[in-house]
Amino acid sequence: MQKGFRGLGAVGVVLAVALGISACGGSSSSSSSGSPAQGRNGGEATVLMGTAPDFLDPGLAYTTQGAAADWITYTPLLTYRHAGGKQGGEIIPGLATALPSISKDGKTYTFQLRKGLTYSNGQPVKAGDLEYTIRRSIKVNWGGKSFFTNYIVGAAAVDSGKAQKISGITADDATGKITIKLIKAYGAFTNVIAFPAAGLVPTGTKFTNLSNSPPPGVGPYMITAVQPNRTFTMVKNPKWASFAIPDVPEGHLQKITITINSNTQAEAQQVLNNQADVFDPGDTLPPALLGQIRSTAQNRFAPVTIPSTFYFFMNTRLKPFNNVKVRQAVNYALDKRAMARLASGFLKPECNFLPEGIVGHPTSCPYGDPNGAPDINKAKQLVQQSGLAGTPITVWGEMRSPRKEYVDYYTDVLNKLGFKATPKIISDSTYFPTIGNEKTKAQTGFADWIQDFPNPSDFYLLLDGTAIQATNNQNFSYVNDPKIQTELAKLNPVPTSQLNSVASQWQKLDEYTTSQAYEAVYGSEQVPKFQSNRMNFAASTIHPLYLDDWLNLSLK
Amino acid sequence: MAIDPTASGNELSLELPGAIPRSGPSEEPPPAGIGPYRLALRRLRRNRAALAFGALFLVIALMCLAAPWYAKHVAHTGPNVNHITDTVKVGGKTENVVSIDGNPIGPTWQGKFFLGADANGRDIAVRLLYGGRNSLEIGLIATLITMILATVIGTLAGYLRGPVDGVLSRVLDLIWAYPVVLLAVALGTSLALGGIDLGLFQLKGNSLLVPALIIGVVYIPYAAKPIRGQVLSLREKEFIDAARAQGASALRIMTTEVLPNLASTLIVFVPLIIANAILLEAGLSYLGAGVQDPNPSWGTMISNGIPRISTALHLTLVPGIMLVLAVLGINVFGDGVRDALDPRAEVRIEH
Amino acid sequence: MGRFVVRRLASTIVVLFAISVLTFLIFQAIPNGKPEDRLAGRTSTPETRAAVRKSWGFDKPIYDQYAITMRKVFTGDVISYTQQVNVEDEIRRDLPATLSLAIGAGIIWLLLGIAFGLFSAMRAGRFTDRALTVLSLIGVSTPVFLIGAVLLYVLAFKLSIFPNTGYVPLTKDPLDWLDHMILPWIALSVLFIGFYSRVLRSSILDTMNEDFVRTARAKGLSERRVLVRHVLRNSMIPIISLWGLDFAAVIGGAAILTESVFNLQGVGQYAAQSVQALDVPPVLVITMFGAFVVVLLSAAVDVIYALLDPRIRLSG
Repeated sequence: MQKGFRGLGAVGVVLAVALGISACGGSSSSSSSGSPAQGRNGGEATVLMGTAPDFLDPGLAYTTQGAAADWITYTPLLTYRHAGGKQGGEIIPGLATALPSISKDGKTYTFQLRKGLTYSNGQPVKAGDLEYTIRRSIKVNWGGKSFFTNYIVGAAAVDSGKAQKISGITADDATGKITIKLIKAYGAFTNVIAFPAAGLVPTGTKFTNLSNSPPPGVGPYMITAVQPNRTFTMVKNPKWASFAIPDVPEGHLQKITITINSNTQAEAQQVLNNQADVFDPGDTLPPALLGQIRSTAQNRFAPVTIPSTFYFFMNTRLKPFNNVKVRQAVNYALDKRAMARLASGFLKPECNFLPEGIVGHPTSCPYGDPNGAPDINKAKQLVQQSGLAGTPITVWGEMRSPRKEYVDYYTDVLNKLGFKATPKIISDSTYFPTIGNEKTKAQTGFADWIQDFPNPSDFYLLLDGTAIQATNNQNFSYVNDPKIQTELAKLNPVPTSQLNSVASQWQKLDEYTTSQAYEAVYGSEQVPKFQSNRMNFAASTIHPLYLDDWLNLSLK
Repeated sequence: MAIDPTASGNELSLELPGAIPRSGPSEEPPPAGIGPYRLALRRLRRNRAALAFGALFLVIALMCLAAPWYAKHVAHTGPNVNHITDTVKVGGKTENVVSIDGNPIGPTWQGKFFLGADANGRDIAVRLLYGGRNSLEIGLIATLITMILATVIGTLAGYLRGPVDGVLSRVLDLIWAYPVVLLAVALGTSLALGGIDLGLFQLKGNSLLVPALIIGVVYIPYAAKPIRGQVLSLREKEFIDAARAQGASALRIMTTEVLPNLASTLIVFVPLIIANAILLEAGLSYLGAGVQDPNPSWGTMISNGIPRISTALHLTLVPGIMLVLAVLGINVFGDGVRDALDPRAEVRIEH
Repeated sequence: MGRFVVRRLASTIVVLFAISVLTFLIFQAIPNGKPEDRLAGRTSTPETRAAVRKSWGFDKPIYDQYAITMRKVFTGDVISYTQQVNVEDEIRRDLPATLSLAIGAGIIWLLLGIAFGLFSAMRAGRFTDRALTVLSLIGVSTPVFLIGAVLLYVLAFKLSIFPNTGYVPLTKDPLDWLDHMILPWIALSVLFIGFYSRVLRSSILDTMNEDFVRTARAKGLSERRVLVRHVLRNSMIPIISLWGLDFAAVIGGAAILTESVFNLQGVGQYAAQSVQALDVPPVLVITMFGAFVVVLLSAAVDVIYALLDPRIRLSG
């Protein structure tokens, strides 16, 4: 019931960092980074999922569970490398022959579709299918469709029903040339084209939710035998190998059965006893079994850090957080070691907004070592200087574990600092709409960001003053800082491929954000990589964006 | 339309076989010189088991009332104070309150963390007592709500009959046919988010009154239907006719003639509904729609404990045993009261 | 009789209508519970939300939305918000698990309830009676999810005798199905056994004092014959009718807690999940379905009750 589907918003997750190994003390092999490797071909395996995919229909899937199945079934023009760690965040050509050529003003993208492609039902792939696919995602209301409607010329008109087709996408079925025109330059647009929602489906596919019998796609696997909320099966697409797409190999396993069971304890037990093969990295390992897993299954278990930011927002428009001293006091007072224990160790303490693995991540922390004891005295002193002690505070939180526990702890910290704090825990499904509503006047509470693609600008959307809106607001702290705005204006249009050239500017910006204590960041999430002893653990990878990478699963 | 009180579409006469006392204590010829209630008291006093379990419930209630004292002088911590990175000395050894893996310490059998800690390093014993206060409070308030509303509805419907009865009975049918737990969860989830705001009457979402109100409403038909049935038969009695003949108003007859004759039925219902209200609160909390943070309750403590049952059994068992003891205490006592008042009535509630 | 049926039918329709309206309103009242905010996603723009509102018809007046939804309930076209699947298909898929639970547990609690009650009554006042009374009282005093969790911990987790939660269809593997159902059956039955045995016990003791039993005894019939032929037959009436109603309630999704603890993925668990996700359409359909089953069976029970018990006449 309260298991982990990653944020409603982000196709959960993103970019990479080969932290898996360092985080678990070097006990396991060098698995999560590097090349897909040397698995045995053939055989079957069972993957357990604690949370059902939101949708299997590629036009609608928006959680990692949905994307896990779709990104190897519906290959977009561009996709991500099938590798763990940093390499997994790299954009590679999928159904396109190469990365697109981008016009100088950054507003025109030209792709060349590979020749001889067919869908799994034998129908030939046409260049015109891209427009249809994107139009379909918009029309069935994909959760991330604003990525299309905000940038592609004519997409918004289709959304509102004013146009029949997206005027900004043109294609030549004969030559396979596809041109996409953008409203404004957007550095991360190649990442948008790599969403599974842009994974091609045949023109004429119905504009309804086809999750129960997913449409044909072009990919290494096909989704079959769907029983919603219970099970579905991935089988190899026999046609894939003949397309010979260099960086998207065919998978090793002939058949992968995905079984959904919300009881993660039962799941973990099955994997531990080798009755099932893969524990879904999108789920939380039950703390009850951790000790046993760490001791008896150490060669097939590893926590992997994913680039994500977990933080408490502090509404800069409301008392007491309109005072920078109070916000700094919170940053001094949070004991991140305590929070890591609440997460059963699956939290890597941090204090900066840009997480490790994202360009611009600062390496130092002005509030003391995140892995050390907090400075409560300094914090109390700051609160005293602010003169705001005794202010009543409502701390908002989500129901699911350990987020509720985080908020309970944070409330206690605020009370220790002299505030009158009470937690308010509400159901997961209304949490973000509620705190994102201006009328709620949420003072402070839980927030997280697991990004949509490997780009610091995706994180800074949450601190962008121009992004503040009355409902579904994501800038929960209501940060509107002229310094941040000037920097963002310069940094946001930089294309993903040139990010490294502006790394130091991003770092300075993030250090400034931390010094202003706009948020109280406490760490990055870690996910479990945990498999049965039948599996080739070393060869499998945790993908930084989609977590699951079933292409790299193989038997020993 | 003649209404036969024992059948005639009254689901509850079936649901509660014999809940309508076919021969209430007021009708039994009492032994010479002894009133029905004194007789009942005498019977109850002879029922040792009922008294013992009643005492058990009372002891638990008193312990819970002493929660602040225990927190201050024995445990030296509050119900919501976290001790995640603290250590505690047990038998000379220093131990983490919460391990690096997030597993809380079990019972230490000493002042601090007598019954262990929870994942947030909070003292279970302290939370158990504070949680008990909340659980019992909800049980009592819910029962009060149920009894008042059920009595009003049952008496009005039974005495006035006709259209009033028709409307009220349909309302009862509605609440009754609505799947109880589902209704409570739906209400609990929505009210926990927004609270209730009816102008003069405002409730915050995390107020204890929210689950109390929901539980109170859910149980109304279980009490109101038998009451209605009893009033239906009472109104045909001679003494009511006599009062009517003297020109007494309906309201007056209901309050001075009918109500006193309902007393034994009401008394029988009270412990039963308290017990079931405590159980329903636990069920609601398990589904996330019961008592809201920061208030602990036995139900929330159990449901927080279940995911960790295999490494920290005390998180589930401690509040679980306490809850069963309290409910058992009041159930056995309630049984004794019922036997004493009317050995033949059988009442039930589903949870 | 005919008039009775018509009247019951009419009141059933009224109750079902009111339940649907109530359910609809409960979820309308939730602040920030607007489905379009959730459907459109966490980072949606106002335009997206407006489009969602329009395409799902959330911009229409509430009574229109209600009417449209109800029409779909009857044509079987209700689509859920969160997964956008046909709700009735989902319920049909969940029903086998719920039926397995209801039928298995129903048989257990009926048989054991009768056995315990009978035994208790025959030994009234003696030690066995008291012991059974205490046991049944503990049974009715323990929350079903606590029993379930402890059973799972001891028998599934520690001793590995039973599988740790889940449901396997009967058609797939009957033995595995049985293996998965035993613990849920026990957990759900405990409460009912406790209650039924107490009802039966007092009902038997009551009947023993009735005139017709005294007559039978006076005629010199054996005690056993009196008990079986006269007493038990009469005392069973309330038990059977209770059973009908409880059975109906469990099928209608009332076993939410049991289904959740054991992760049976039945109707009740679907309801609980939908409530938590504020997914109104499934909640609406399941409450209507549940209420319908309950009301229908209670009417049936009334009729059977009247046929069995000559003291009751159905007045119309």
